[in-house]
Amino acid sequence: MIQVKDIVKTYTTGSETLVALDTISLEIMAGEFTAIMGPSGSGKSTLMNILGLLDRFDLGTYILNGQNVSDLNDNESAKVRNKEIGFVFQSFNLMPRMSILENVALPLVYAGVKPKERKERALAALERVGLSNRVKHKPNEISGGQKQRVAIARAIVNEPSVLMADEPTGNLDSKTTVDIMRIFQELNTEGTTIVMVTHEPEVALYTKRIVTFRDGALVNDQLQQQKLM
Amino acid sequence: MNIRENFKMAVDSIFSNKLRSILTMLGIIIGIAAVIAILAVGNGATSEITKTFNDFGASTISLSVSDEATGNEMITDADIVALKSSIPEITRISPDNTANTTVRSDFESRSALAFSGTPDLQYTNQSMDSTIVSGRYFNQNDYDDAKEVVVISEDTATALFNGRQDVIGETIQLIGNTGNVLNLKIIGIVKGTFQELQGSFDLSQMPLSLALPLITMEKLNPSVAVINSLTVQVTDKNAIESVSNRMVRLLETRHDSVGDDYYTATNFLQALDQVDSVLGLFVNFIAAVAAIALLVGGIGVMNIMLVSVTERTREIGTRKALGATTNTILFQFLMEAVILTLIGGIIGLVLGILLANGISNALSIVPNITLGSVLLVLLFSTAVGIFFGIYPARKAAKLDPIEALRYE
Repeated sequence: MIQVKDIVKTYTTGSETLVALDTISLEIMAGEFTAIMGPSGSGKSTLMNILGLLDRFDLGTYILNGQNVSDLNDNESAKVRNKEIGFVFQSFNLMPRMSILENVALPLVYAGVKPKERKERALAALERVGLSNRVKHKPNEISGGQKQRVAIARAIVNEPSVLMADEPTGNLDSKTTVDIMRIFQELNTEGTTIVMVTHEPEVALYTKRIVTFRDGALVNDQLQQQKLM
Repeated sequence: MNIRENFKMAVDSIFSNKLRSILTMLGIIIGIAAVIAILAVGNGATSEITKTFNDFGASTISLSVSDEATGNEMITDADIVALKSSIPEITRISPDNTANTTVRSDFESRSALAFSGTPDLQYTNQSMDSTIVSGRYFNQNDYDDAKEVVVISEDTATALFNGRQDVIGETIQLIGNTGNVLNLKIIGIVKGTFQELQGSFDLSQMPLSLALPLITMEKLNPSVAVINSLTVQVTDKNAIESVSNRMVRLLETRHDSVGDDYYTATNFLQALDQVDSVLGLFVNFIAAVAAIALLVGGIGVMNIMLVSVTERTREIGTRKALGATTNTILFQFLMEAVILTLIGGIIGLVLGILLANGISNALSIVPNITLGSVLLVLLFSTAVGIFFGIYPARKAAKLDPIEALRYE
């Protein structure tokens, strides 16, 4: 599913060069639920951005779902993001002026899906995250946990190969965190591949594999017994 | 991503900031309203003036004698005959004399404007409608024999005969400034002259109007009938310039005053040109003001779009993460700018039409709003939106998604 090999990513600020990722190789199989952990500055977010085709890297190769995506231009990566990757952000990033239904349907708009089908698929995605009522409401009318469910629905609506979540529970209380992790586990059970960046060990316990980064290097990669609800 | 989606997003965004959008559109609204109003009023005025001149006949020449001329340079009956015979293009020629007189019937005495000339006066008189209602106009026989006949207007008949119109054959008295009296037989009635002024003036105070042969008029008072202006009609309006020049030359030769510039021939084409150029100047001035308003309006749109791009940086980042391409974002913001200016343009159009109607009512002309000017406004508003929207839209489209997602 995801194969990165010898990825190097450096940032240059002034005369200083910072190595954000130092020759990282990682393989994630379809159906996995992986947590990427590490302190801030460890390179975990950089890797996440590269995996999500939001950022480029200096050296190495990235093969996503059999396709070499190492050297795509902006428009090509936009299309791959739309089709293959679903994003869940720490601060939800919902469109404030759009209804919940419209928010969820947005990736389908960019995919060129017809309005009628968009609505059906958005409703189905909302169903999967347990939020099929209040779909006409605006995001500011619902709670944080509900917002993140909307964001997850949006991430899965175009049936991507992989769901990438960047600190998805960072803005949520512990009870809501459990709810969101349950949804992730359910989606994973149904076959969705999930990669999640987190710095909270207790959140990482809900995943099946933990990859740990420190100072731009992959320092630990282990499978674990998933904590179930 | 289709146009409908973009349109909906743009409209949502514009309506979620109503006050800001309206303020942004203000420059566009004022500019467009000014353009539309001035085009409508300008076109209306031009067509009104053109129509008036066409009524008089675009093939009409007015010849006048300068105030500096002495009695020797005044036009004589012989001049008229000479002009008519030596310039074949002249179809009608008549002096254009107007005298202030008093007219008296058995019932009433009123001041009157007495128009006198050759029988061609029927066609050349611009101050009095010469459409015959009953009877006839005076003819060449009346003129040659200096018959004491008169043509009066319906209003004159009404005023002098207690409302009667069947007054042909009746006699009225014309009294000149020196007290001379001329008895005139009414031979024809023409349409009333000041009907259109009814309601706004006290009709009993208006001078009446009548027309009679110049030769007859001279009997009343020779000095009343000095010819210092002629109205001439020519066969073809293309001949106007040439006829004008030949008339002036002939008169100068006959009066031995070549080069003294006593005679001036003007025609309505010239007058129309003058009106056109004055109107054109005015239109250009307003157009310049409108252009500045549109420029400022456009800059306002650009400014607010830049603010909008900054405010929505995270939104742009999110959209890119969800699969929006550079062009999609570009198009979205461009669409927003265009819709902003287009709505401004449409509001301006409506305001401009209202304004044009208001101004036109005050000037009593008919505003002329053409489909062309409406299309021009829509096209121009769109162009302003694209021109001033492209920079903010490109800025939005080129945002780095990671930077944009991190933006607080």
